[in-house]
Amino acid sequence: MRAILPTHVGSVTNDGVEISYEVYENDGPTLLLIPPSPITHSRIYKGQLPYLSRHFRVVTFDGRGNGRSGRPTGRRQHTRAKNVADIIAVLDGTRTDRAILTAHCHANWWALDLALSHPERVDALVAIEPGVPFFGTPHQHWKDSGETWGEILEDPRGWQLFNRHLIVTDLERWVSFFFDAQLVERHSTKQLEDAVSWAMETTGEILADSEEAQDIDPPTREEFVAFVEGLQVPVLVIHGDQDVCQRVDKGRDLARATKGDLLVIEGGGHLTLARDPVKVNRAIKRFSDKTTGANVSVQTWTRGLNRRKRALYLSSPIGLGHARRDLAIVEELRKIEPDLHVDWLAQDPVTRVLEAAGETTHPASEWLASESGHIASEASGHDLHCFQALRRMDEILLANFMIFQEVVEEGDYDLIVGDEAWDVDHYWHENPELKRGSHVWMTDFVGYLPMPSGGEHEAYLTADYNAEMIEHIARFPRIRDRAIFVGNPDDIYPETFGPDLPKIRDWTEDHFSFSGYITGFTPPTADEALEIRDELGFDPDEKVCVVTVGGSGVGQDLLEKVIDAYPLAKARVPELRMVAVAGPRIDPGALPSHPGLEVLGYVDRLYRHLSVCDLAVVQGGLTTTMELTAAGRPFLYFPLRNHFEQNFHVRHRLEQYGAGAHMDYSATDREGIAEAIARQVDRPVDYRPVETDGAARAARMIAELI
Amino acid sequence: MRARYPDIEGHVERDGVNVGYEVFGEGEPTVLLLPTWTIIHSRFWKMQVPYLSRHYRVVTYDGPGNGRSDRVRDPERYSADSYALDAEAVMQACGVQEAIVVGLSLGAAYGVRLATLRPHLVTGLVMIGASIPLTLSSPEREATFERFLEPPGDSPQGWQKYNLAYWHSNYHDFVEFFFTQCFSEPHSTKPIEDSVGWATETGPGILEAEALNSPPSEPWDEIVSRLSCPTLVIHGTKDRISPHARGERAAELSRGELLAMEGSGHIPNVRDPVKVNRALRDFVERVAS
Repeated sequence: MRAILPTHVGSVTNDGVEISYEVYENDGPTLLLIPPSPITHSRIYKGQLPYLSRHFRVVTFDGRGNGRSGRPTGRRQHTRAKNVADIIAVLDGTRTDRAILTAHCHANWWALDLALSHPERVDALVAIEPGVPFFGTPHQHWKDSGETWGEILEDPRGWQLFNRHLIVTDLERWVSFFFDAQLVERHSTKQLEDAVSWAMETTGEILADSEEAQDIDPPTREEFVAFVEGLQVPVLVIHGDQDVCQRVDKGRDLARATKGDLLVIEGGGHLTLARDPVKVNRAIKRFSDKTTGANVSVQTWTRGLNRRKRALYLSSPIGLGHARRDLAIVEELRKIEPDLHVDWLAQDPVTRVLEAAGETTHPASEWLASESGHIASEASGHDLHCFQALRRMDEILLANFMIFQEVVEEGDYDLIVGDEAWDVDHYWHENPELKRGSHVWMTDFVGYLPMPSGGEHEAYLTADYNAEMIEHIARFPRIRDRAIFVGNPDDIYPETFGPDLPKIRDWTEDHFSFSGYITGFTPPTADEALEIRDELGFDPDEKVCVVTVGGSGVGQDLLEKVIDAYPLAKARVPELRMVAVAGPRIDPGALPSHPGLEVLGYVDRLYRHLSVCDLAVVQGGLTTTMELTAAGRPFLYFPLRNHFEQNFHVRHRLEQYGAGAHMDYSATDREGIAEAIARQVDRPVDYRPVETDGAARAARMIAELI
Repeated sequence: MRARYPDIEGHVERDGVNVGYEVFGEGEPTVLLLPTWTIIHSRFWKMQVPYLSRHYRVVTYDGPGNGRSDRVRDPERYSADSYALDAEAVMQACGVQEAIVVGLSLGAAYGVRLATLRPHLVTGLVMIGASIPLTLSSPEREATFERFLEPPGDSPQGWQKYNLAYWHSNYHDFVEFFFTQCFSEPHSTKPIEDSVGWATETGPGILEAEALNSPPSEPWDEIVSRLSCPTLVIHGTKDRISPHARGERAAELSRGELLAMEGSGHIPNVRDPVKVNRALRDFVERVAS
């Protein structure tokens, strides 16, 4: 799922070629983001759009030859003049009188041409890894490969792949090599996949034509230098010093010639906008604000000793379980620090739980891009590839981090608690100078694990993600002031982080404190259970089976399958009553109905139902299964296929408690479910007890920081 | 010992009065730190000079009546218009064509006057704890202004000490009271000591002359509205000398930025120098770009 969608999309036709644009409406000056087509299209700016469009009006488009724009062939169709005319057509078509241009790589030459021919339409230029002629010195590999460009090589290797014949016949080989070479930064697997997939939307013919078109009508060095030096618009150059496409001295020369600002990203390559988006985004905003004279007109600063203690609490919206335990922790924290003010930065469905509890949600929460919506969009049937879903959530995590960072810079927070706030933890390690306040990282699992279906490549990817996390923490131990594992050392899955990486348990014991499990509620006593049953209308003689799939909207298939099994189960257990809980994101009306079956929507404090049922049928999520474990109820759990956390981490933990009956969704039919219900319902259990002081322990660990 | 000594010290004579100035550093642009009520002298910028002079040329000077300037008894030398002309003379003497001008309290009024009488000299203006009568002061202060020339009671309390006869009989007590009001923040012993010390370098006779100066010929709100340069207003919410509402009004009338300092008193450049220094630098950078 994308982090943000345009306000409107449209297209213009220039010289017979359709050019598609996107507009993100907002007040204030317009930023035009120009992609270096045809090797990529507007999605190259996916890390910039959500953030910049909160502050500016943003227009972007797909250049000719890629994305949703036309695919003209022939060198004459890909000249600078054609591309510049496209840009003007987009400005006209979007009613943009003038704009701050942001361009990447060779699109900067087009942007400079536009500033020369239409200075009245250009407020400023942000030139990222600019590919402009005559400045700096070209890389030797471009000179060499240029010489064999037109030949048919028998066995091209490395930069020789930059060859017309090869690009036309095997585009993927060239772009895979090219972007792999450009992404010099470690742990760039996602950026590489993105860049290659966008490049594969053009054709080899078009890409080759566009390369040759660069040689048509070039200015002389003198002309070009004179024109750039005479340029009147403010310029910011951003350039990675390890760029192997456009050497960084090109950027330096351009900044010097235009008397512009220069931001060199040391260790950065050719795609800093994708690889260091936080730094790049903030630089673009700062420069644009300076250019347009925009300022915050009223600012309040509070003297240190006049400040009330303030915490910002982030509770992951993936599943509802975090909200419950986070509320329990905050309740304990307030016993220690009664004056602590807590703001929550959270999104649906967590906000429902917070509102019901009377908590304060920070107004910026409204801007957050939906993580649970993304996860739901990634699920298909009873299948959620949660590692890949997290990877594909990259632009949403970035968009939300940029919001978070603005909130902490304005909020004077003493404490940031992130319960699986992946964005904060990741981007603060990537941009350590941005850290504010004490930071508590909290999670209930450590380590990405590959699913067997993903094969070797997935094992390589999970190991790479784990390695990055381990390196982050080794290099910047000051980013996590406290790391809390919600559980005990025995709960940790007995595996390594990957080849040549430490054992998860050893590393976690070295780097985390353990709070024990946090249920967020105290299981009822036998008497209380009878009372609750009475309140809920459960007859003492009935055997109540509660079916629930949590709050994420994933799991309709399981609900339907269990509901289908109800008549068969009822035939085996006549006292059986089934209560199906659709949760906040599934329409109860969309589920099948049977006599004797109840279907509920969102249920506040669902743990009360679970803690007094005679059997529960659930997914493999940690919160629900552990609530059942704590309450000592029998239950069947069906981990989502390809969900590594449910299949490995949660299952392992439940085995530590001797709790629940593990079920395989695809291998179990209606009969099987009915049989399991009959076997398990009202069965006495002998689980290892779950601690009830987890929230208090976590609160004490956190309170030490404030 | 001072953290930073001037690179140039000098005097400029204007209409028979010597005005002592100091210049620190040589960066661009120039930041001119104006004098304030002459009860203290230019050392009240001591927390700004070392930092700002690492980046810019900083010019400070003492107004008439304190520090290294002449102790004049002519009330007209203490009008805002006269201060503006002193500032112009100092800039000329230092070879400064234009500057970003910063004023505290009454100094903010002097800055406004300089920027309106000589707009070409001022590229930006910062008003800290502006003592410009754009709104009324607190009722108790307003009451004392009316009885300023009347005899004080037997044992005046609080703002009743703001009284000409009391200044002459109990100068030191008044000064201590006044700076205790200026620094409403807890734990302000050192700033109060400093200010009281600087106040001993002048006396009630000088303050009397200052008190009798003539206001400008037009209302202050009209003058402030005429400002054409970028402005930054910094004002404490706990300012007991000049209420925070004045800062808000100054920002509004001058279409400028407002930095509200929650919990700060009248002289935040001394009491919260880090925040003020960084705000000054940000402002200078924006104006200079």
